[in-house]
Amino acid sequence: MDIEAIKNQITSDLKDLGSLQGLEEVRVKYLGRKGLIAQLTSSIPSLPDEERASFGRKVNEFKSSLLALLDEKQKAFLAGQEGVNANTIDIGMPGIAPELGHLHPITKIIHEVCAIFRQMGFSIVEGPEIETEFNNFTGLNIPLEHPSRDVFDTFYLATKDTLLLRSHTSPVQIRAMKSHKPPLAIVVPGRVYRPDAVDASHSFMFHQIEGFVVDTDITFADLKGTLEFFAKAVFGKDISMRFRPHFFPFTEPSAEVDISCILCKGKGCSLCGRKGWLEILGSGMIHPNVFKHVGYDPKEYTGFAFGMGVERIALLKYGIDDIRLFFENDLRFLKQF
Amino acid sequence: MKITYNWLKDFVAITLAPRELAERLTMAGLEVVSIEEQRGDFIFEIEITSNRPDWLSVVGIAREVAALTNKTLKLSEPRPLLKTGRHQLAIEVQGKKDCPLYTAKLIEGVKVGPSPQWLRQRLELIGCRSINSIVDITNYILFEWGEPLHAFDFDTLQAGTIIVRRAQKEEKIVTIDGIERQLTPDVLVIADASSPVAVAGVMGGRKTEVGEATTRILLEAAVFNPIVVRRGRRMLGLESESAYRFERGVDIAIVQEASLRAARLIEQVTGGTISAVKNAGTAKVPTRRIVLEATHLKRALAVEIPAGTIKGILERLDCEVKAISQKKYAVDIPSFRQDVKLEVDLIEEIARIFGYGRIPRTIPRIKPQIDHKDDTAVHRSLKEILIGLGLNEVVTYSLVEKGRANAAGQDTDKEIAIANPLSKDQAVLRTTLLPSLAQCVAYNLRQKQPYIAIFEIAHTYALDVTVKVQERYKLGVALCGGRLLWLGKDRAYDEASLLHIKGILEVLFERLGIEKNAYRFVMKSTYEGEVYVHGALVGTLVALRKEALEKFDIKNKEVVEAEIDVKTLLSLASLKRRFAPFPRMPGVTRDTTVIVKDNIPAGEILGAINRWGTSNSEGLLQGVEISKYYKGEQIPGDAKGLTISCTYCSSERTLTDGEINSLHAQLVDELKKIFNATIR
Repeated sequence: MDIEAIKNQITSDLKDLGSLQGLEEVRVKYLGRKGLIAQLTSSIPSLPDEERASFGRKVNEFKSSLLALLDEKQKAFLAGQEGVNANTIDIGMPGIAPELGHLHPITKIIHEVCAIFRQMGFSIVEGPEIETEFNNFTGLNIPLEHPSRDVFDTFYLATKDTLLLRSHTSPVQIRAMKSHKPPLAIVVPGRVYRPDAVDASHSFMFHQIEGFVVDTDITFADLKGTLEFFAKAVFGKDISMRFRPHFFPFTEPSAEVDISCILCKGKGCSLCGRKGWLEILGSGMIHPNVFKHVGYDPKEYTGFAFGMGVERIALLKYGIDDIRLFFENDLRFLKQF
Repeated sequence: MKITYNWLKDFVAITLAPRELAERLTMAGLEVVSIEEQRGDFIFEIEITSNRPDWLSVVGIAREVAALTNKTLKLSEPRPLLKTGRHQLAIEVQGKKDCPLYTAKLIEGVKVGPSPQWLRQRLELIGCRSINSIVDITNYILFEWGEPLHAFDFDTLQAGTIIVRRAQKEEKIVTIDGIERQLTPDVLVIADASSPVAVAGVMGGRKTEVGEATTRILLEAAVFNPIVVRRGRRMLGLESESAYRFERGVDIAIVQEASLRAARLIEQVTGGTISAVKNAGTAKVPTRRIVLEATHLKRALAVEIPAGTIKGILERLDCEVKAISQKKYAVDIPSFRQDVKLEVDLIEEIARIFGYGRIPRTIPRIKPQIDHKDDTAVHRSLKEILIGLGLNEVVTYSLVEKGRANAAGQDTDKEIAIANPLSKDQAVLRTTLLPSLAQCVAYNLRQKQPYIAIFEIAHTYALDVTVKVQERYKLGVALCGGRLLWLGKDRAYDEASLLHIKGILEVLFERLGIEKNAYRFVMKSTYEGEVYVHGALVGTLVALRKEALEKFDIKNKEVVEAEIDVKTLLSLASLKRRFAPFPRMPGVTRDTTVIVKDNIPAGEILGAINRWGTSNSEGLLQGVEISKYYKGEQIPGDAKGLTISCTYCSSERTLTDGEINSLHAQLVDELKKIFNATIR
């Protein structure tokens, strides 16, 4: 390569220069031990005698002019770094950062709900999804052959022992109470199963969060206060609430809990079926028969329990209209949370 | 259940407008889900909980309205039955447990035809189709009083006989819906002298159905065992208003009266006459007495309810209340309240009528516990790390099609089958998360997603060698496709590979306090690998084979996955942190490029360097890293180039160049010797 060609290349290299490091690369390319100038110098011995002196001089001149040029460039960089950056960085370009993933909305709701109860002093406990009839039904005061079981339609396993997929998270109440003495304040998130055909509002697999408190002096007023704190923490302090008498075999008295519709604020709309209220929880004082099944003395202890559907809370909170979206796992859905 | 506003008004004076009434009922535990105005009346649809069969009738709800609004129930007595006896009815009940009470009335001279307008309209408003006058009257009494009745065409009963018995094997019946049903000894039937004529408490038979030609009817009013009715109904796959009530419990004390009301109405509408009556069993129910203590009430509800209010509420609910002492009551429960068995049931009744809304709200004094193991906390942090690595969490079904484990190269004989699956897509519990994740990848590929990085933490289920059920938490990770990364001003395409999966797991291990030399990744083949921590197998790596990709309909894409046993992994983690002093001097790095044969794994070279460092560098070799990997023209085809960066550092002094160079040269010599490496 002759001097003129190298000069042109330097000009173009310096034009594209974006950083001090780039400048250093240019320096190595031309002035380094194996750089282009060194190549020129090393070609001198092979030249005819009469050309050597003048070529050597030209190379030296070129080298010192290049050194001066690079020094100047370096000074410019150091002096006016901001100015240089302003010319080379288009801040309209996307920022550079690793892309973060997203938690599933069901997980987000479970975390949120558990955090609220943890704040109140509850412990989080889980249990198996494969259960016995005792833990899923009998221990919870649900007779095996009674209409009160109908809402808990259940998948059975084709195993030697009679086993089933839990149809609610309540069996964990039995497990926890059998293995621990009061006082207890426990929240149980988890998957549950019921043989329901899949549509916009049904799924054969869904999630529940169960909670219960047992001690010597737990009252229905405690149930109301706790669930009010929870509902307001999730849906905002402006909601109103009502506790409706209901029936669950494992609690007595029992209550369903409604909040004022989060969309119409109680006026009545399609979300709340014109009722102005949205049901979010089932609850009640733990039935003495449940205490007897786990070996607690109902005269000594009282307690309350509650349960909610996680998908239900997520549907309401995020304005999702089809439960199937949770299990389809479309990235365009997942990345919204 | 549906009832109408006007029908209720037959039994109780209502001063509330329909909407207000609905609100009161809802807040007393009878949730009114809709109100519809029709033909000058209001139809209420009410959800009745399974513990309150006494609410499955107009009278039952009127009784509740009376209690809530402090009114009295208006009941007219049916005209009493005078002695009849032209006929002797033959009734035989074979099991008292199956049928504690059976009553039959013969009504002669009936003219069966369309029902009068008032009767038709009432039934139609609540969604009951009008059939003929006799059937309509039995339905009317059913809805009004909650006692299911059945009318047989008496002349079609063989020998005019009724036998309440279990069906025999091979016996059949054609029910009024025209379907022939196979019976078993589990099913209680009403039979005549020759064959079953009705499934007791569930549905009548076609043979003895009342029609236009009927002139004599036998009117049945009975109580059948709830469990027997339930088993029979479920076995035959039937649903009926009558079975619905028997299963929940019919008030035995109401049977005779409901039967008489129906008979009188039949006489009035169809012109017949009651000519014979026969009962089997007894309608007597022992009175249930429960002791209620006011202190217990206060203990449960945290509110002091005055004694007068307590007594008043219970009396409005038809209980008889006697004060035993100042704060103790003996409460006699009416026969229709079979659900009230314990003191807590009375406490609920009082709370319900008093109003849940009037009970205060308090926060319990919770005594926090530390002995509950909280796996969710660790799972939560695992999930946070994974999303930090750009993975998205998915939730997939635990139930999958049979043989699914195959697609992940796992045994299918460990799969646990569902005895009553909804469909073949959900026939077994999954033994692995990997196929579900592959399916998720396939779905998102169809949605044209260029890069899919997902994970799930969920249970897997398998039968172990002793055929015991095992349930374990697994972490599944799947990657597919690639993404463009910014490198300076350019973008480079980064395609997901098993090394990316490895990288994700390495980050997890690091966060779990598992040191670099404690884990090992071993490839068993091009497609399958294993992950060991402290020598224990914790999971697998998979690059899906062609057949598996085809099964999920994935074309021209690679899918790489990993599955880790979370519990095993966590048992090997060391989450405790202790401070270790680190050298205060900056390290000095020396790079060397070695060229070795392809079949020498990089891990072995790193291992050798580390071993050398431990025994020969007096702790000066502080870090080793592979900073470049290449193949290409400058090196032989069966070899690879690895640039190895070694960092030397002392915590006491600044190392001299000469010292480092000589140390590094020893290392390089070692590598030449062990791996026959050439140095560039």
